[in-house]
Amino acid sequence: MEWAAQVVNLLQAATVLLLSPLLAGITYRARAWTESRTGPSIFQPYRDLAKYLRKETLLPRFSSRVFVVAPFVAFGAYLLISIVVPVITPYPIPFASTVDFLGGGLLFALAGTVTLLAALDSGSNYAALSASRTVSFAAFAEPTLIIVFFAVAVITGTNNPYVTNNLLAASSAAYLSPTHLLVTAAFFLLLLAETGKLPVESAGLMEFGMLEDGRSFEHSGRLLGLNRWNGWMKQFLLYSVFANVFAMPWGLVATPTVEGALENLVLLVAKLLVVVGVLALVEATVAKVRLFKIQDFLALSFSLAVLAVFAFAVLGVG
Amino acid sequence: MIALVGVGILLTALYLQAESFVDPQIRAIALQSLLLATLLGWLAWTNRSIDLAIIAALAVGVRAVFIPYVLRRQIRAFRWKVRELRAAHRVTGHALAAVALAIVAWFVFQQTLATVFPEAGAALPFVLLVQGLLMLATRSNTIVQVVGYLEEENAIVYAGALFAQGFPLFIEVVVFLDVLGVVLVGVILSIQRDVTGTPEEASLEELAG
Repeated sequence: MEWAAQVVNLLQAATVLLLSPLLAGITYRARAWTESRTGPSIFQPYRDLAKYLRKETLLPRFSSRVFVVAPFVAFGAYLLISIVVPVITPYPIPFASTVDFLGGGLLFALAGTVTLLAALDSGSNYAALSASRTVSFAAFAEPTLIIVFFAVAVITGTNNPYVTNNLLAASSAAYLSPTHLLVTAAFFLLLLAETGKLPVESAGLMEFGMLEDGRSFEHSGRLLGLNRWNGWMKQFLLYSVFANVFAMPWGLVATPTVEGALENLVLLVAKLLVVVGVLALVEATVAKVRLFKIQDFLALSFSLAVLAVFAFAVLGVG
Repeated sequence: MIALVGVGILLTALYLQAESFVDPQIRAIALQSLLLATLLGWLAWTNRSIDLAIIAALAVGVRAVFIPYVLRRQIRAFRWKVRELRAAHRVTGHALAAVALAIVAWFVFQQTLATVFPEAGAALPFVLLVQGLLMLATRSNTIVQVVGYLEEENAIVYAGALFAQGFPLFIEVVVFLDVLGVVLVGVILSIQRDVTGTPEEASLEELAG
């Protein structure tokens, strides 16, 4: 039914939009537990967001319109990604046919680029420092992402995340294939880097990460709120792709109904909690690497992704 | 099974290239030998081959336990801090070189030996051999070079296991003794190193005949 597809579409967008702050709250809380703290409420990001949206927005004197427009463009890009990747459905919803994995990657890149431009436009040395650092490391992170897509493409013969999800859920041989295991490991390392987790970045209550966080140094009020929300949406989307496409592709209800989508939503929350748990464990056990060692970390991720494609070529199995 | 063990061995090879501390390297080569022994044991079981079973047992005893034990004894006093500083500054370079060389080795294999050995994964021993060579070429620490040599020997046994389903037992045993010989030389060099007081090979050059 056409209306059901549209409702599922809206439900998926609303899931990403409204649950991403909750996921961030749970992540902060989980991290607090591993540090023997009580931690803030899991709803704290919603309160923060409400506060940001109420507060006055100040603009740097020499900034241009880019500074104001960028958070909105990034917000739009993340919202668009939320209706093209498998979040609560294992089947393509109406907009999903517009992009493949690579298209999704380009949308992430668009959001990242406009955020960088806004950071540079602010004229602040700190924001520019953060922007330049982000770009330096993205030079390694982006090729890794592309190779991950290649590896997925060689497993399934297509570049469509939905096909990947269905194939991996259906075939344990494909799931346990060396290529898939390596590419999952590479994507996990990338996930740590892209969402600002240890050992790459230690942003938190007492510390300002000078990679992702630093780019919003000059933003305030609503623009800062949007930037924060963008970060949370990015985290939610990457976790969802990691859980649904790479690590835990099973269990999604394939019937295209609203009830099926709601069931999948519950399952997604369970999967995301597992991802949060694993990441909290990682953050509790590894130390932050020095800035120039981040390159080594990303090189390892890149090597794993290349090895994934290599394993396919050498061993001849997906 | 063959594919998963193959990738495990490949991963240990990558780790060996990127690691600068000596003790984790010794443990990694022990793990690689153990993976190889698993493969040999599995092949012995599926082919009902006593020869392969003996070689698997030898691989566990000699390569995974005895040689790592001897090498770790060499650094027992400073196990937690013995590292090659030059390698520590070149982790990215070494890792990328390892991956690039693996790809080159695979292409060379495809152009030369692929028609003779068309089995899936047949290129892996060749790739491993080249990784061992890269370790020998890029590292200057004696023990790490012994580890690189062990990796090469692992590649030979791996090739034997995949292609010939085991060389004649005599040849395999000779390969194991060969490794023991190298370890013996390594140990002597390490003792010399203790006398000269440096882990780098430069000071040992005067010993060259």
